[in-house]
Amino acid sequence: MTDFDVVVIGAGNGGLTAAASLAKAGIRTLLLERHNIPGGCATSFCRGRFEFEVALHQLSGYGQADNPGPLRGFLSQFGIPDRCEFVDMENLYRLILPGQLDITLPANREGTTQALVARFPEDKDGIVGFIDLIYRTFFEYAAVFYQRDPEASAEKYPLMTQYTLQPTEQVMNEYFQNPLIKAALGIYWGYSGVPLSQLPFIDYATLYFSYLHWKPAYIRNGSQAMSNALLEYILANSGQARFNCGAKRILVEDGRVIGVETEHGDMITAKAVVSNASSIDTYVELIGEEHVPEEQFKILGGQTVGPSSLTLFVGLDCEPHEVGITDTTNFIISDPDTDKQFASMSRLDVSDDYMLVSCYNLDDPQASPPGTSQVCIVDLKYSGPWLTLSPQEYLQAKFKAADGVLNRVEQVFPGFRDHIEEIEVATPLTHMRYLNTPGGAIYGFDQYAKNSNFFVSPTSPVKGLALAGAWSGPGGFQPSLMSGGSAARAIKRYLQQLGEGK
Amino acid sequence: MSARQDIRHALKGYQDIKREMEICQKYGQDYRNQKGLKATIIDRLHPRQLELTVSEIITENDNTKTLRLTASGRALPAFLPGQYLSVSVQIDGVRTSRPYSISSSPTQTAYYDLTVGRVKDGFVSNYLLDEVKVGDTFTTSGPLGNFYYNPLFHGRKLVFLAGGTGITPFMSMIRTFTDQNLDLDILLLYGCRSVKDALFLPELAQRVERHPNFRFELVLSEPDSNDQGRRGLIDANLIKELVDDIAGTTFYICGPSAMQKFCTSQLESLGVKRRAIRREAFTAPGDVFDDPAWPQDVSADQPVTLYVQHPSGETVTIKTRVGEPVLTTLEKAGLIVPSACRTGECSMCRVKMTAGEVFQPSSALVRQSDRLLGYIHTCRAYPLSDLTLVIQ
Repeated sequence: MTDFDVVVIGAGNGGLTAAASLAKAGIRTLLLERHNIPGGCATSFCRGRFEFEVALHQLSGYGQADNPGPLRGFLSQFGIPDRCEFVDMENLYRLILPGQLDITLPANREGTTQALVARFPEDKDGIVGFIDLIYRTFFEYAAVFYQRDPEASAEKYPLMTQYTLQPTEQVMNEYFQNPLIKAALGIYWGYSGVPLSQLPFIDYATLYFSYLHWKPAYIRNGSQAMSNALLEYILANSGQARFNCGAKRILVEDGRVIGVETEHGDMITAKAVVSNASSIDTYVELIGEEHVPEEQFKILGGQTVGPSSLTLFVGLDCEPHEVGITDTTNFIISDPDTDKQFASMSRLDVSDDYMLVSCYNLDDPQASPPGTSQVCIVDLKYSGPWLTLSPQEYLQAKFKAADGVLNRVEQVFPGFRDHIEEIEVATPLTHMRYLNTPGGAIYGFDQYAKNSNFFVSPTSPVKGLALAGAWSGPGGFQPSLMSGGSAARAIKRYLQQLGEGK
Repeated sequence: MSARQDIRHALKGYQDIKREMEICQKYGQDYRNQKGLKATIIDRLHPRQLELTVSEIITENDNTKTLRLTASGRALPAFLPGQYLSVSVQIDGVRTSRPYSISSSPTQTAYYDLTVGRVKDGFVSNYLLDEVKVGDTFTTSGPLGNFYYNPLFHGRKLVFLAGGTGITPFMSMIRTFTDQNLDLDILLLYGCRSVKDALFLPELAQRVERHPNFRFELVLSEPDSNDQGRRGLIDANLIKELVDDIAGTTFYICGPSAMQKFCTSQLESLGVKRRAIRREAFTAPGDVFDDPAWPQDVSADQPVTLYVQHPSGETVTIKTRVGEPVLTTLEKAGLIVPSACRTGECSMCRVKMTAGEVFQPSSALVRQSDRLLGYIHTCRAYPLSDLTLVIQ
């Protein structure tokens, strides 16, 4: 008998839900995590009197008890809605292009439509028509791919057929030309990392539909609370977990997974492995090329590593309104063109960057001690330019870039810098260090249509291996959490086949 | 072929994107060429551990030595002046670690200096001072810690309040900022009992002479008769006298916990904002009994028992006392729990407690969701009752 049925490598969102799904099914599961705490991205850290949320800005697809989203249903299996408190956000975001646009969109269809029409009355028909298209296309897509209509055909679902793979900007052009409207209705592109000119319309529509229909959510005490609750569930269901224990190798024999070697040299035998490490690490570092078909490296090689981020975690010694922060989610841009916003991600310089400023206190006053604010600023960046710096240059570049980000924020929220009590800066290299992903990538591969599961199968050619997390599908919290469920289903099928002697 | 697969191919643009993907795969990269690269990049900046050799021991005074540490076969990582190393040692069969601020400047990374002062009955400091010799090797962490000058919001007027061996992180900062001629105004207020306890005096005097923007005052609490220097403590009056722009200055405190508490209260009485007071948690485990929140009816010597469940599933029973941090007890019993700061901040030594009650000072920075589930930072958790712990 093997030590375990399944070893799950990595306690990120996908690893945690994979282990929880397997433990729930009574499968003997061991979760390995190289850090001392579960969560991966879904974690927090303390500085002074602040506890900083690391990665969760707006959870999608959760919804309310009377309007549950797919993620709520998924997490309910593990009792998460009873163990964590999810706080709805009433707005999608405030978008600020200094001197040109300052608009706040409520987190519902009518409110967002009204806010846009009020600001752009001459484009009323285009705005109403486009938002309608988001909904109708999403519903058609859901009927085919989620509800699995057996009669699906191009004729029955014309919008889905027409628009699913089309670049979002091209679709927008059918409804309006004003670049400000495109920015106002497209600024969530950063949640996928692909600009509107390349973002497949179905990814866009799913993003906006989810946030408009189910509202964005925040988790009380941060995403760490959910990660901790998932671990509790795993342990309560006879799963085991080892922390400070990374995987060194996935052991493969005759094309089948037979176990895992830990960084401490322990050999753990298992029938199957779920890897929550990046797919590149899984095949190149953990399994090794001798056990992986050449074709798999071709598939990986056709995909490029997605963006990382320059992130500032800031504790202010004042209430948000004292520096003019009135919304939880704020996007600051210097140009409405998302291609230009995207281009600046490949530079060290931050003066034109697209930035997300989240202040959790607006929706959750307990996000930091009374009289203070917890702010997280995200500036998406590719790791490339950071990798070429010497260690000394790196430290300088880190402070310089953070300084530039603060200057931008100061423009919009005057007095911000004078209220800083704590600040921590994470560069793409910091993300690489903590997440152990290639390039410090936070969404996995670039989320282009060609890299999506339409064209790249998440199924592994190594028998008994499944991947969970952003590198086997879309990035972000909802997809990575749900990917663990898919990985667990694949492993359950495999174990069943093994049991039947196939 | 299922209907859903069919419809996939019917999506507008499908064939074009499929072709694009095929071209990308044909001319894409080979990630096998990057095997090991990520680990190399991370290790250069933030090694998980360093193997360092004592290349020189410099006697600073009767109770203080500087250990000069070098690495062979690798460059020492860059660090920010003020950061520390966690040094692992094995003494009388007990594996433990202690944090020591790096006192040398990162303008050179040929070596790291760790300046170690004797702690009365100190388990590790006495070993480092009395037993360690040139050529000995240590495993340490990479540079860690958040006590450093942050140009993003600390401004250019800095006042360092040092107590005793708490001078060490400031030596690194002063050496760096004066060597680099940075545009910073620095005032060091160095509190010691007497001149013979003070460290680095000749060097500090020399740097004052060479650098007009660096000032230094020695403040003696129990001076010998011939001692030169101010008398008393670093208090509000002294700070008011020496600092003109209190509101525009960032204050840094590093020293024994009583000194830290006193200086913090003095700064607060002068209206210094919390954000302008940066403190290195330079406290000893025994300081906890002075914590106003410590339950007065509990004696430090009261015996308690820890029931500790290993990753292997085996449970160990350990007798200890209320006054000993849980981490120390675990280490004495030969159990390995990673640790670094040993002041409750970094969370490396986080362990789950499933039964019992501990005292954790407010300086222990435990995540809110951890607190609710019983996780404790063992380096600064004192068992007020028998405890059941799970090492995961």
